[in-house]
Amino acid sequence: MLDLVTNQPITLWIVIGFLAVSLLLYCLLGGADFGAGVLEIFLRKRQRVEQHKIIEKAMGPVWEANHMWLILMVVILFMGFPEVYSLISIHLHLPLTAMLIGIIARGCSFTFRHYDAKKGRSQKSYAVFFIFSSVWTPLCLGIVMGSLIPGGIHPVYATYREGFIDSWFRPFPLALGLFTVCLFTFLAAVFLIGESPAGEIRTSFTRRARVASIVTVLAGGVVFFAAQLDDIILIPRFLHSAIATACMILATISLPFFWMGLRKEWIWTVRSLAGIQVVLILSAWLWIQFPVLVHLPGGDLTLFNSHAPDRTLFQLAAALLVGSAFILPSLFYLFQVFKLDEED
Amino acid sequence: MENLLAARAQMALSLGFHIIFASIGMAMPFLMAISHYKWLRSGKQVFFDISRAWSRGVAIFFATGAVSGTALSFELGLLWPKFMQHAGPIIGMPFSWEGTAFFVEAIALGLFLYGRKRLPRWIHWGVGVVVGISGVLSGIFVVCANAWMNNPAGFDWVNGQAVNIDPMRAMFNPGWRTEALHMILAAFEATGFAVAGIHAFLLIRSRGSVFHREAFKIAMLVGAIAALLQPLSGDRLAKGTAQHQPLKLAAMESHFETSTYAPIIVGGIPDKKTERVRFGIPIPGLLSFLAKDDFSAEVKGLDAFPKDEWPPLVPVHIAFQIMVGCGTALAGLSLLFLFFLFRNPSRLAHKRFLMLAVLATPLGFLALEAGWTVTEVGRQPWIIYGIMKTADAVTPMPGLQYPFFMFAVIYVFLFGVVSWLMLRHINAVAQDYPSSANEDVHA
Ligand code: HDD
Ligand code: HEM
Ligand code: HEM
Repeated sequence: MLDLVTNQPITLWIVIGFLAVSLLLYCLLGGADFGAGVLEIFLRKRQRVEQHKIIEKAMGPVWEANHMWLILMVVILFMGFPEVYSLISIHLHLPLTAMLIGIIARGCSFTFRHYDAKKGRSQKSYAVFFIFSSVWTPLCLGIVMGSLIPGGIHPVYATYREGFIDSWFRPFPLALGLFTVCLFTFLAAVFLIGESPAGEIRTSFTRRARVASIVTVLAGGVVFFAAQLDDIILIPRFLHSAIATACMILATISLPFFWMGLRKEWIWTVRSLAGIQVVLILSAWLWIQFPVLVHLPGGDLTLFNSHAPDRTLFQLAAALLVGSAFILPSLFYLFQVFKLDEED
Repeated sequence: MENLLAARAQMALSLGFHIIFASIGMAMPFLMAISHYKWLRSGKQVFFDISRAWSRGVAIFFATGAVSGTALSFELGLLWPKFMQHAGPIIGMPFSWEGTAFFVEAIALGLFLYGRKRLPRWIHWGVGVVVGISGVLSGIFVVCANAWMNNPAGFDWVNGQAVNIDPMRAMFNPGWRTEALHMILAAFEATGFAVAGIHAFLLIRSRGSVFHREAFKIAMLVGAIAALLQPLSGDRLAKGTAQHQPLKLAAMESHFETSTYAPIIVGGIPDKKTERVRFGIPIPGLLSFLAKDDFSAEVKGLDAFPKDEWPPLVPVHIAFQIMVGCGTALAGLSLLFLFFLFRNPSRLAHKRFLMLAVLATPLGFLALEAGWTVTEVGRQPWIIYGIMKTADAVTPMPGLQYPFFMFAVIYVFLFGVVSWLMLRHINAVAQDYPSSANEDVHA
């Protein structure tokens, strides 16, 4: 294994790095964005207008930048790992299409709501679409991710069900979908604490963050249980890898600190802890998955056996590096203009 | 509905939808930037109002363009997995650059829309220009990918596998320059005339509005410049087609028999069985000129190719006629506009001229959709010209008609909502911007 890892060209590692970082950032930034939509379900009448304003103000300038991480992942997959992209597209056609519909509904309803020249009754309909798609899209995302584990995709199939439904319509992917929704909601609640003025509204976001953290832990339990139902040996695989185990342990022991921070409303402490927890959970998952992209009965597709030819990888890596030289400074500028400037 | 047909219909629908918003996303930032510039230079409130009113409407188009584009990047794989598997490593390059350009565009747009109060004026203006430039760059990149499907390059095809892949050569294939130029001009032309048409209509309703008059002039000027360059660019494009895809050219012109002094046939319906064009008016020599710069040159006809490789003749021929017809009409209108602008500006406000501009509102977009139909349907039955057949690329998942119907419903619905929002927006302009109704004596 070590041999396999060290023998790869540096360009492959750059591409893999970008893939992993895009996934992380999509879950963190895009996740908070989706979660904010989920949270709208729980807004009380009394505070609805103020809280809605806070959400809109926090998400407005950045939402489009957020979903670029997803596009980046798609591009890296299809240029760098074309076989994987093609296989996933064929067998997960249905959940991917479902996710697409969520993306379309969400992007449109968010913008239409904000830019409708008249703020009338139509606002209600936009809100319905927005909330529904904010739940639906991460649910589908989790389902797609959950289908990549062993026993998921059947490249050789006899029936429609076997080829196009069984891969994702099973306890584990569905549970992972649920977990994703909870995790994103949790992130959003924590993020919004710091965006709201001290007082009643902030307290209510704090309460939601606490509830969301508990629900997420429970949903995590459901994932392990569903894995058992699906005959996926998840726990032993975690234990097998020291790093994955360490990540999970760290995520667990940081929870009490997180709750304490919540009680004291230490904004940056809870934000960082929540971010770190999500990164740890994702890293643990990536680690037990590594280097496999898709588990297949006849031999897994891995990062090392399914990548594009060297010249393509080289040019992809170059494009990613040059692209980040443009993107990172401007992204930083965007965040700086909107986040560090607290007056107005 | 047959699977392949459903997949093609879904692809055409999604692209036909996306391209409208993508074109607006490319051209509108420049229209706004021009108006904004005029405000920064002259200090006249009306230019600030125009730019601001436009930017409010544009946000809606941007978002719709972004989500429909995201949908496309999935749909390419969902519908044509085998195409993407082979094409990905070869032509992923422009897509990854496109991703970069989009990223910059999305960031700049966030800054532009939300930063009006927070950024220094000229930086705010510069950010608006960056939105436009990155939009145009992304348009160029994606057209590079399409040009490659028409002019495959940068690899060797050995036993159904691509070897010796060179993504740079694939991206800068022989067709990219002409195709990208034509597309960018099309975006400016279509958007320019559509915006000008709307303001012309409002100008007829409220004569003397400085707001609509200035907006009309800016949009019309941009559209006119593009419209006058477009026939030249189309001519270059046709020469490329004659060289690399002679069969497509023959189908566009319904040119059945290889001949010298080949005619362009205006109008008419080609009949595959009798190999004749009914009701068409031939203009001898013009096709030879279009294809080879020489009225007497020989142009290959459909008869030079096996019949089972012919693209569908009727849609390709008719779409080409529509494009060139609209292009000619708009170029004529542009000449008239420029003539009035420089010789007799008061004529610009003449009702008959404004009526003409209103009639021209949809023509640019009509030509744009027709142009894509020519390129895409004219390439059939190939998905990668001469390399891979469309039928071999389609996903094995049965029942594709259901996603197609679903997307059709979604897009029709979205189209309705966006149009309705635009109407509301236009109605609101009169209230929000007093300058839109006022007469201004010194302007
Ligand atoms: C980068 C690639 C690309 C780009 C920029 C476009 N297309 Fe395309 N189009 C395809 C890639 C493609 C495709 C995936 O390759 C299809 C599917 C089957 C085929 O041969 O080409 C296709 C098919 C296809 C068809 C069906 C052809 C047929 O049924 O015979 C139509 C009518 C269009 N497209 C229309 C458009 C429009 C209106 C576009 C404007 C944006 C457009 N295409 C841009
Ligand atoms: C296969 C075809 C295509 C794919 C996969 C595709 C992909 C995309 C994606 C992913 C986006 C969203 C980016 C964002 O979030 O801002 C987008 C938007 C855009 N696309 Fe496409 N696109 C395709 C065809 C085209 C064509 C033919 C053009 C024009 C020449 C074009 C030009 C644009 C532009 C200018 C935008 C930005 C739109 C806006 O921000 O309003 N695209 N496209
Ligand atoms: C008036 C003269 C025009 C000529 C001679 C002309 C010529 C052509 C030709 C030959 C093609 C096919 C290219 C291929 O082989 O794939 C084409 C495609 C196209 N045309 Fe035109 N065209 C004209 C006007 C217009 C106008 C007015 C528009 C839109 C406003 C337009 C938009 C397009 C588009 C979007 C395409 C497909 C994309 C591309 O290939 O770049 N054209 N045109």
